[in-house]
Amino acid sequence: MDNQIMDLLFNLLGILFLPFFCSLIIVFSGQIRNTVAPFFSLLSGLGSLFLTFLLIKEFSEPIRFSWDWIALGVHKFYIGFFIDSVGLTMLAMIAIVAFAITIFSIAYMSKDDSKGRFFAGLSFFLFSMIGIIFADNLIMIFLFWELVGFSSYLLIGHYFRRDDAKDASQKAFIVNRVGDYGFLIGIILTYWHFGTTNLEALAILIGADVSLISSGIGFFLICGFIGKSAQFPLHVWLPDAMAGPTPVSALIHAATMVAAGIYLLIRVQFMLSFEVMSFISYLGTFVALFAGFCAFAQSDIKRVLAYSTLSQLGYMSAIFGLGFPGIALFHLITHAFFKALLFLGAGSVIHACHHEQCIFKMGGLLKRMPITSLTFIIGTLALCGVYGLSGFYSKDAILIGAHDANNLVFYGLVFAALLTSGYMGRLIWIVFFGSPNSQAAKNAKEVNIIMYLPLVVLSFFAIFVGFTNLWPAQLGATILFDLDYLHHLVNYKVLHNKVLILGSGAWILGLTMAFLFYGRGTKFDQLEKQLPHIYSLLKRRLWVDELYAVYLDKVQKPIAESFSFLDEMVLRGFIVRGCAGLIGIIGASLRLLQVGRLDNYVIWFFIGLIAFWLYGLNMF
Amino acid sequence: MVLIGINEFIYVASILFLIGLLGVLLRRNTIVIFMSIELMLNAINLALVAFSRFNNSMDGSIFVFFIMTVAAAEVALGLAIIVMLYRQRQTILVNELKQLNG
Amino acid sequence: MIDILFSIFASLVLLSALAVVLNRNAVNSAMFMIVSLVATAGLFILLEAYFLAILQILVYAGAVMVLFLFIIMLLDVDKGENFNFKTRKLSLCATILGVLLLLALILNSFSSNNLPSVELFLIEDSSFIDPGAFDNKAKAFGQLLFTKYMLPFQVIGFLLLVAMIGVIVISKKPKF
Repeated sequence: MDNQIMDLLFNLLGILFLPFFCSLIIVFSGQIRNTVAPFFSLLSGLGSLFLTFLLIKEFSEPIRFSWDWIALGVHKFYIGFFIDSVGLTMLAMIAIVAFAITIFSIAYMSKDDSKGRFFAGLSFFLFSMIGIIFADNLIMIFLFWELVGFSSYLLIGHYFRRDDAKDASQKAFIVNRVGDYGFLIGIILTYWHFGTTNLEALAILIGADVSLISSGIGFFLICGFIGKSAQFPLHVWLPDAMAGPTPVSALIHAATMVAAGIYLLIRVQFMLSFEVMSFISYLGTFVALFAGFCAFAQSDIKRVLAYSTLSQLGYMSAIFGLGFPGIALFHLITHAFFKALLFLGAGSVIHACHHEQCIFKMGGLLKRMPITSLTFIIGTLALCGVYGLSGFYSKDAILIGAHDANNLVFYGLVFAALLTSGYMGRLIWIVFFGSPNSQAAKNAKEVNIIMYLPLVVLSFFAIFVGFTNLWPAQLGATILFDLDYLHHLVNYKVLHNKVLILGSGAWILGLTMAFLFYGRGTKFDQLEKQLPHIYSLLKRRLWVDELYAVYLDKVQKPIAESFSFLDEMVLRGFIVRGCAGLIGIIGASLRLLQVGRLDNYVIWFFIGLIAFWLYGLNMF
Repeated sequence: MVLIGINEFIYVASILFLIGLLGVLLRRNTIVIFMSIELMLNAINLALVAFSRFNNSMDGSIFVFFIMTVAAAEVALGLAIIVMLYRQRQTILVNELKQLNG
Repeated sequence: MIDILFSIFASLVLLSALAVVLNRNAVNSAMFMIVSLVATAGLFILLEAYFLAILQILVYAGAVMVLFLFIIMLLDVDKGENFNFKTRKLSLCATILGVLLLLALILNSFSSNNLPSVELFLIEDSSFIDPGAFDNKAKAFGQLLFTKYMLPFQVIGFLLLVAMIGVIVISKKPKF
């Protein structure tokens, strides 16, 4: 290997393992963990940023490295890196957002007792996330996919002494398992059918023979996406995951991890049949609308943002399903920046209001914390798709693409845009305008510079990241390709104007309606007062959680219990272990009478011994 | 004159083992139980040496060597545990050590 | 000659072992245990395992039993006759039955001429025999320990270290 390739390899390994070693160092630094953790995280964030820039500078064509991993009989498995412009774009976004969030967390978590655990988890998350981006085969993706889920579990449960955080972390983990189970089946089926899980090899195989595409495999593969990107019906974990620290919500549950699902879709797009694609598209539209409605009934500032994330993920999958992976990626990138900004802004508000998260207890914060408020409003406007901000460009492209492909999806998405600006307007008017509704809000002061600096930087990105012509030439080839396709549609001008009018109309209407309906800085929810039935329906999130509870309690639990009985008693007891199992069961039942005495145990042990011997002599 | 073959040694070893087992099962004093366990180990040693001798192979003897070492380590640890037990509970009789019995 | 010695040693081993189990006094038990162990060493000598016999006396009778005696004296827990044996009828019956059953099993397993009933023969000078063959010299042990059984030997050494540390940790008085 010549030097340049070696340099490239070391660069990649550096980007991948820097966060890993950072978390390792923090974990092993023992007592001084809490003091050194921010420092090392900052260092590794800076290092990652630097190495990423180097990589972007050096990048000219897709990078491939592959090594043998394990061989099981005739089945050989490889690990390897594959980075093309899609991965590189993701990587750049992650490096920037993660660095901003690390800086923010240093201030946000400064009073926390277990900073070490937090920063170690954050770094470990980055390691796993970058692993997904670098992976060149499905098995490796799955490996890091699980690691991402695990670190998300750790971080959501950061305040594990609180019941809601504990439950939320377990919920996130378990719900994700459901999706990952399908994903794993998909991977196994892929290996079965194609004999490889390498993405490029698969692409070549399918490129040679399109009839190899199977809807079954596609449906299983997108299970992973549905779980990780919190699409219906596995969306239930995301709102609860807001129990974690706010920087975690910003990094994991807004910018990167939930976007991994979209990234996976882009990676396996060639394996998805037309049915799967349209399923994804309708699912995305449905989620965009559904989450938009739900967001209206939330009073927790982070939960509103969580539903907004859901709805934006719906946008991405909708446009992906219509065959524009580049535009989905584009929206992913812009969304990552402005949603991270919004979450950090929310974190800063929460921090200033002494961990008050209910929006009806805030109000009037614009005067008290101007920088946070302004950046938050910029983020909101970007999310609503105001002309000139980054959100506009991606949303515009999405709507044009949708209009080109499917009218139903198009109108669904336009309505979702109206909803988006509606609930974000509600948030803005209530939180930042009017007069304070609680003592905490009254005493709120602008946060210190370490906290608002990332906000300012991110709002800069939220404004300008939509201009694709400002990007380095190495990034976003897929995005530019899809945008180019849209720009050369025959009726592009007409479409563009129509979308511009509809989109702008949506956000203006939404913000105004929100203002008229909710007013400035109200203390109570107008919707709850005036339309209590609809409010409670939305508040219960359309009873999806309750449905799950009923399903688990009434259907799954009895079945599982009967299976468990069958397994314990019949299979494990009599069939597998034979007479020893029988003796074991009799012993267990007799021991119910005489528990906890050493001599009794010795006697049972002794009888078991004799039984084994007799069994060995074929006396039974 | 009786022919002394491997069988006789194995019988002695088995009976020694059973006596040790009886001790483990019948006695209450932890130290005596422990000694009985040593007796059982000793029986195993005897059987191993006999097999080794009659198979004309050194492996059994080497194992006896290892078993002795392990037994020594085990005794040291076990007795330390018994001493600690006595310090904490003021008894070493197994029928009084029934914390697990609810 | 050998059969007479064998019967003497064997009966000594078994009788003193019974005495260990049945004696009410723990100190007496330990004393009989020493007898049993030394007699076992005698059986080893009959088997021409001289090195192991010496080890048996040194390690068991010398070190281990002294440790036992120390602890027995240290704790001094003889609370009288009733406390030394288990008295519950159920466990007693189960124990006796079980031991008898095992005895029957052993006799059943070994009496049916499964094993060769060869006479003991004297080992010749083994310098010409292959290194794995049975030998009574310490040199043979050394050779095997440092060649074929190198890894177990190291592990055993480590085990002794572990045991030592374990004893120190366990017997340290807890700080309150």
